[in-house]
Amino acid sequence: MGGYTDNKTFVGFQNFSKLFQSEKFYQTFQNSVLLIVIVTIVTFALALLFASMLTREKLKGQNFLRVVFYIPNILSVVVISAIFSAIFDPNSGLLNAFLKLFRGFQAEPILWLGDQKIVIFSLAGAMIWQAIGYYMVMYMASMANIPESLYESAGLEGAGRMTQFFQITIPLIWTNIRTTLTFFIISTINMSFLFVMTMTSGGPDGATEVFLSYMYKEAYTNSSYGYGMAIGVIVFLFSFALAGILNAVTRREHLEY
Amino acid sequence: MKKILSLAITAALTLSLAACGNSSENASGTTTNSSNNTKTNSTSTTETRTLKLAALETAYGADVWKEITAAFEKATPGVKVETTIDKNIEDVIGPGMKSGDFPDIIHLAVGQQKGLTETFVKDNNLTDLTDVLSMTVPGEDVTVKDKLIPGFTDTSITNPYNDGKTYLMPMFYSPTGLFFNEGLFEEKGWKVPETWDEMWALGDKAKAEGIALFAYPMPGYFDSFFYALLNEVGGADFFNKATSYTEGVWETPEAKQAFDLITKLTSTYTEKTVPANANKDNFTKNQQLILDNKALFMPNGTWVVGEMSKAPRAEGFKWGFTALPALKEGGDRYSYTFFEQIWVPAKAENADLAKQFIAYLYSDEAAAIFAKVGAVQPIKGMSEKLDGDNKLFYSIYDSGAKAAMGAFATTDPVEGVNISDTVFRSIDSLVTGAKSQEDWVNGIIKASDALRAAMK
Repeated sequence: MGGYTDNKTFVGFQNFSKLFQSEKFYQTFQNSVLLIVIVTIVTFALALLFASMLTREKLKGQNFLRVVFYIPNILSVVVISAIFSAIFDPNSGLLNAFLKLFRGFQAEPILWLGDQKIVIFSLAGAMIWQAIGYYMVMYMASMANIPESLYESAGLEGAGRMTQFFQITIPLIWTNIRTTLTFFIISTINMSFLFVMTMTSGGPDGATEVFLSYMYKEAYTNSSYGYGMAIGVIVFLFSFALAGILNAVTRREHLEY
Repeated sequence: MKKILSLAITAALTLSLAACGNSSENASGTTTNSSNNTKTNSTSTTETRTLKLAALETAYGADVWKEITAAFEKATPGVKVETTIDKNIEDVIGPGMKSGDFPDIIHLAVGQQKGLTETFVKDNNLTDLTDVLSMTVPGEDVTVKDKLIPGFTDTSITNPYNDGKTYLMPMFYSPTGLFFNEGLFEEKGWKVPETWDEMWALGDKAKAEGIALFAYPMPGYFDSFFYALLNEVGGADFFNKATSYTEGVWETPEAKQAFDLITKLTSTYTEKTVPANANKDNFTKNQQLILDNKALFMPNGTWVVGEMSKAPRAEGFKWGFTALPALKEGGDRYSYTFFEQIWVPAKAENADLAKQFIAYLYSDEAAAIFAKVGAVQPIKGMSEKLDGDNKLFYSIYDSGAKAAMGAFATTDPVEGVNISDTVFRSIDSLVTGAKSQEDWVNGIIKASDALRAAMK
């Protein structure tokens, strides 16, 4: 039933059993997990790097850089999608035009949004660009709280920048990192839906269908409201469990300073 | 103490959530009651009655509906029409409908991405409009049936349950077929192909000049192409069998011919960059390929002319339009007739008034207003009143092409199975090479098997 009628049929757990036999659902599951993993790892690494550079190093135009990094976060997803659709355009896009310098001017264009093997990574690229600023600001906030004296004494003991980063910065912002890991899961699941809807509509041929876009499709386009809600339940359980697991494995002794 | 406090807060929050749930249930309960009341009230009083119209804003614009409703209000005293027109009409009226507040009339065609119309059809949630056909058009002395071009109310779209009753009324129609740049053909001295063999020959010739034979805006645009092709390979009978998921129909030689043809067209003759832009935000880039002389043909409907009116184009560009080429010399050529639908939800409060409004839409007065923006209704003699590009497009059936109508039959919703996705969306994969013809056909057979059991 489609959600606009009062007719109800009780189907028990049928929706779930159909779901677990559906190839399409596994494909969306795969895509979502892939996005969660890639976006989390890359954003996490880059955000940490930029945050520590902007707090620890004396760079020219630091404040300007902060603003630049944060801007993607205040843009709406529709705008970002339009920007990236233009960048990824096969014929007149920025990326292919740039690559022509290396691949030769007669090279076949790379279909960033048209090749089923690449498209999910293109999507991840846009999502990472959008997310970095937000996490960078979060990490910067807690890095700014670390007393300067710790770095000074470490410097006197002969610890280099890398050692300071891994031995002082990371342990002291650990609680913050744990929180953001949960954010990563939630926001990737949510944002991937928006990006997919505005950039690829799940295409080509379902190659970028993610959890929520598939749920939306089944609930509305395919008039199977109950089935869509079953997908919603699975998504909830999955993200809840994943966040729980991440929380458990990242548990460390709380460091005071 | 802290623990107790936090427990108490959690409990309070949970309770308030539960309370919300209850109250909304109550609220929706009362809405249905009150809607019943208004029904009885509105028929007995002579006060101003309000008709709620919801329409999708399409290429024809929103203003035309305002003009129509103003004209209807003038012609029917004591009626006020409240219109909701939006490009995302499903999202605007959806939440209200879930809580029981339905518009009286909805103008929204099947085949939209959100599938709202299909949802109502699948759920048997429509008002029977068969009696509109025998109603007299307001202000005239002919019935609606006599004004309509025959055939439009006999399709599997308007009569979804195969019981002879019409639930969706046909509105603006448009022949579909292949669009091309006639200027380019004149310049190169090419002839518009009339058979598929000529088409392939032209494809090779164009390839040598760096032009692809074919492009498509989105895979969904293959519906009209595919339906017309099914008619070409096996006639109307075969089309009906195929669209009603008859067992074994996809393994027949006719079906194989259609599949072979589409595979050849997409894997060899289609511009390779098409799938990258084949989504609802970038599909105009694929249409632009025709305007830039980068591809020769695309399947589309007459609305494309308005849609691309402001786009840059190659010098000497002139829209050309042809039906699907025939399979062999002298064979039938088909052009699928796309039409929009207007319908009344089963729970509309003013169904009788809605029917009156729909009958009015077929009046000469209303048709003239629609025609001003290029929206053509299936009213007899309408196509003769057209001018410009439209005259060429709508005369396609006079120049030998046969009309095809209908679509895949309505079924109860089947979870996870979507025939148009399986048939049309997979075409992207044929172009990129991610799927073979065999995978594609097997997918269609599997989906057909699942849907056959759920037929209405």
